Amino acid sequence: MTTRTETDRPGVTEQASERPAMSRKAQELDRTWYSASGFVGWFTQVNHRIIGTRFIVTSFIFFLMAGIEALLLRTQLAVPENSFLTPDHFNQLFTMHGSSMMFFFAVPMMEGLGIYVVPLMIGTRDMAFPRLNAFGYYVYLIAGVTLYAAGFLGHAPDGGWFAYVPLTLPQYSPGLGLDFWATMITFIEISALVAAVELIVTVFKQRAPGMSLNRMPLFVWAMLVTMFMIVFAMPPLMVGSVMLALDRTVSTHFFMPSGGGEPLLWQHLFWFFGHPEVYIILVPALGVISSIVVTFARRPIFGYTAMVLSVVSIGFVAFGLWVHHMFTTGLPALGVSFFTAASVMIAVPSGVQIFCWIATLWGAKLRIATPLLFVLGFFFIFVLGGLTGVMVASVPFDTQVHDTYFLVAHFHYVLIGGAVFPVFGAIYYWFPKIFGRMLNETAGKWSFALMFVGFNLGFFPMHQLGLQGMPRRVYTYLFDSGWFELSLLATIGAYVFALGVLVTAVDALLSFLRKPDAPDNPWGGDTLEWATRSPPPNYNFEDIPVVRGRWALWERGDEPAGAVTGLHPGRREVLVTTLLDAEPHAVAILPGPTIWPFLAAVAVAAGFLGFIRHPIWFPIGLLLTFVGFVGWLWPRAVGGSAEEQVR
Amino acid sequence: MNAETRFDAGELPRLPADYRAPLWWGIVGLILVESVVFATLITSYFYLGIDQPEWPPAGTKTPDLVKPTLGTLVLMASSLPMHWADRGITRGDQTALRWGLLLSIALAVTFLVLKYIEYSQMGYRWYTHSYGSIAWTIIGFHSTHVIALILKTVVVSALAWIGYFSERRSLAVVVNGIYWHFVVVVWIPLYATLYWVPRILK
Repeated sequence: MTTRTETDRPGVTEQASERPAMSRKAQELDRTWYSASGFVGWFTQVNHRIIGTRFIVTSFIFFLMAGIEALLLRTQLAVPENSFLTPDHFNQLFTMHGSSMMFFFAVPMMEGLGIYVVPLMIGTRDMAFPRLNAFGYYVYLIAGVTLYAAGFLGHAPDGGWFAYVPLTLPQYSPGLGLDFWATMITFIEISALVAAVELIVTVFKQRAPGMSLNRMPLFVWAMLVTMFMIVFAMPPLMVGSVMLALDRTVSTHFFMPSGGGEPLLWQHLFWFFGHPEVYIILVPALGVISSIVVTFARRPIFGYTAMVLSVVSIGFVAFGLWVHHMFTTGLPALGVSFFTAASVMIAVPSGVQIFCWIATLWGAKLRIATPLLFVLGFFFIFVLGGLTGVMVASVPFDTQVHDTYFLVAHFHYVLIGGAVFPVFGAIYYWFPKIFGRMLNETAGKWSFALMFVGFNLGFFPMHQLGLQGMPRRVYTYLFDSGWFELSLLATIGAYVFALGVLVTAVDALLSFLRKPDAPDNPWGGDTLEWATRSPPPNYNFEDIPVVRGRWALWERGDEPAGAVTGLHPGRREVLVTTLLDAEPHAVAILPGPTIWPFLAAVAVAAGFLGFIRHPIWFPIGLLLTFVGFVGWLWPRAVGGSAEEQVR
Repeated sequence: MNAETRFDAGELPRLPADYRAPLWWGIVGLILVESVVFATLITSYFYLGIDQPEWPPAGTKTPDLVKPTLGTLVLMASSLPMHWADRGITRGDQTALRWGLLLSIALAVTFLVLKYIEYSQMGYRWYTHSYGSIAWTIIGFHSTHVIALILKTVVVSALAWIGYFSERRSLAVVVNGIYWHFVVVVWIPLYATLYWVPRILK
C-alpha cells in the first residue's frame, strides 16, 4: 500500500530514463492530481488508482488469513478423532474462514479491480466521486480489522458465515461474537454499495468519447452488471443483519418463533443476497477472463453481442435461484420447482460464455503465459463446479447431499474455479500496469501448477466423502467411519494449494526489490489502460483518448484514435459523456484530497460499534456522521461566485 | 499523440445542475439502493404477518387512521415549497429558495412531532411481538430519513441565506430536492402498509 504513495509523488512517476521529459501540460496535470504522502497524507488520498490498489492489497491479505484458517481446519480433519482444535475453535475458524472469503476477500477484490481498471479502460482520469471511494475503503478496512480484532480478543463469531437463526439468537449464542459479526456485516455492505453506485455512474457518464455501449470492453460490461447486482442484492442482507442485530441487542422478535418471529425470514433475506453473491463474485471474473482471452489469443472475441447478453442475463437469472439453498426447509412444491428450473437455466448463459471463449481460442496463435494458464485452469474447474451445480439444482438429489461434503466440494469448485483462479490470472495480467514490474513467469507457472494440482487433490475427494455421508461442519469423525484416507488426501491437497498461493505472494513481494521494468503494454492488449504508462501517472492520461471501435488500441496500432483538448490542466476536470453514445456534453470538476471521508467512516463505525453496547449510540453516530459529511461536502468557495469557482 | 479525431472540451458547461452532472446520477443510485431497502422492509412485514392467525396479533389495537393520515398530508405538502425553492433558484430567485427551504423544514418537523405523539401513545413496543418489531423498525427507519433530510436541508438553507447559490450554482439544491421528494414519496407505500393493510386483512 505504501508503494502507491511513492509513485504518486510528483516527479517520481517519471521512472525510466528513456522517457521523454514531461511536457508543461503534463507537469501541471501532475501537480493537480498529486496526492500528499506520509502518515497523515495516507488518510487524505482519493485517486482511484490508490484506492483500487488498497482494496486489492487489503483483500489479498484477508485472503491469506482466511487461507490460514482453512489450513487449520484441514489439519484438524486430517486424521479421525483429532484434538488439534477444540470444537469451539473449529466453529469460530470455519465461521471466520467463510465470512472472510466472501465479505473481506472476494467482493472487495473484485471491487478493487473494478475501481483500479475501469476508469483506465474507459479513458477517464478518476471515478465520479473520489471521496466516496476513499470512504468506502475506510469502511471496509475498519469492518475487517474490527471483526478480526474482536476474534483475537475472544469474541469470535461461531454461527457460520450464513449465521442461521435461531442458533445465532442470544438465547443460543450468548457473548459478543455474533454481535460483532452482524454489525460488521451490515457495515461492510455500505462499502460495497458505495462502490457499486460509484462504478455505475462512472461507467455511465465518464466513458471516453466514441465508446458507445456497444463498444465497451467486456470487462466493463461485467463490472456494470455486477454493480447493479450489488445494488439489488446487498440491501436485503443489510435489512436482515440489522434485524439480527436488533434481535440480539434490543430484544425484537423478527426471528424468534415464541414472539411471533419467522426463522425462515432470515434464510430468505440471507439467500436472496447469498445466491446473487456467488454471481457478484463470478461475473467480474468472467470479465477478467474475456480480457485475458482476447489479449492472449490476439484476436477479437467471438460473439461480442452474445457475450454481453449472456452476462446481462446471468445478472437477472441469478436473482431467481436463492431458494435452491433452502430445498430442505419444507417449502411448497410449486415454488421449489420454479427454483429448480431457474437453477438449471442459468447454465445456458454460462455455457454461451464458455463456448465463445473456446471459439476465440480455437486455432488462434496462443501466447502461453501465466494469466492464460489460470484461465485454462478456470475452464476445467469451473465447468466441473457447474456440472455439480446442475446436479444439486434437482430437489431429490439435493436432499440426499444437503449438508454433506458434496456441497463443500461443489461450491469450492465454483468459487475457487470461478473467482480465485481468474483473480490470480488478473494479478499476473495487471500487476505490470499497477506496480510497473513484471512478475516472474517461471514462478507464475509453478504457482499455477501447484494450485491446480493441490486444488483438485484437495476438493475432488470431497465429492466422494459427501456421497459416503460425511456431514459438513463437523469438527471430527470416528475411526470406523471410512472417511480417513480421503480426508487426509484433501488435507494434503489443501497444503499443496497453499504452497502455490505462497509462491505468487513471495514473487509479488520480491518484485519490489527490483527496478520497475514493465513496458506500457507488455501483453499487447487492446484496451485503453495499456495506452498509458506503467504505472500510470497521477492523471492517467495526458489527453483523454477518443475511441473509434470496439478494440480501442487495435484500430490504429497501439494508439487511441484521437484526443480531447480543452480540459483545464489546473483543475481536476473529467469529461462527462452521454449514456448510450458517449458524446461529450459537460465537464465535471472533481474534489481533491481530504481527510473527511476517513473521519466520516470513523463516525459511522462509532455509531455501529457503540450500538452493540447501548442504543444511545445510534443518535450519537448519526450526529457524528452528519458532521463528517458536512465537513466533507462543504463547498470550497463559500462567498465566491460560481464564475470564480470555474474561472 | 498524432491523433486524427479531436474534441474540444473547452466550451462545455462546467456546473450543469441536471442529468449531465454525475452527482445527479449518484443521487438516483442512492434512491435506488434505498428503494430496495424499503421494499425489503415491506416484504418482511408481509412475510411475518402471513402465517399469523391475527395481524396485528390478538390484544393489539388495529392502528388508528386520523393522526397518521394528517401526518401524511403534512409530509406530502412539504414537497411543494421544496419544488418552489428548487424552481426558484434555477431562475435566480433567492427569496423563493430561502423561504421554500425553511417552509419545507417546518412541515417535516411537524410530521415528526405528529409521529412522536402517535408512537409514544402506542400500546406496544418493538420487544412486544414481531408485529411491534417490524412496525417500529419501519417507522424508525423512515423517521431517521426525515431527520437526516432536515439536517441536510438546514445546511443547504444556511448556504442559501448567505447567498452561496445562483442560477449557475444550483446543483446542491437540485439534488437535495430530488432526495427530499424521494423520502416523501416512499412514505406513501409505507403508510398504506402500516395503516391500511391491517384494516383490509381484518
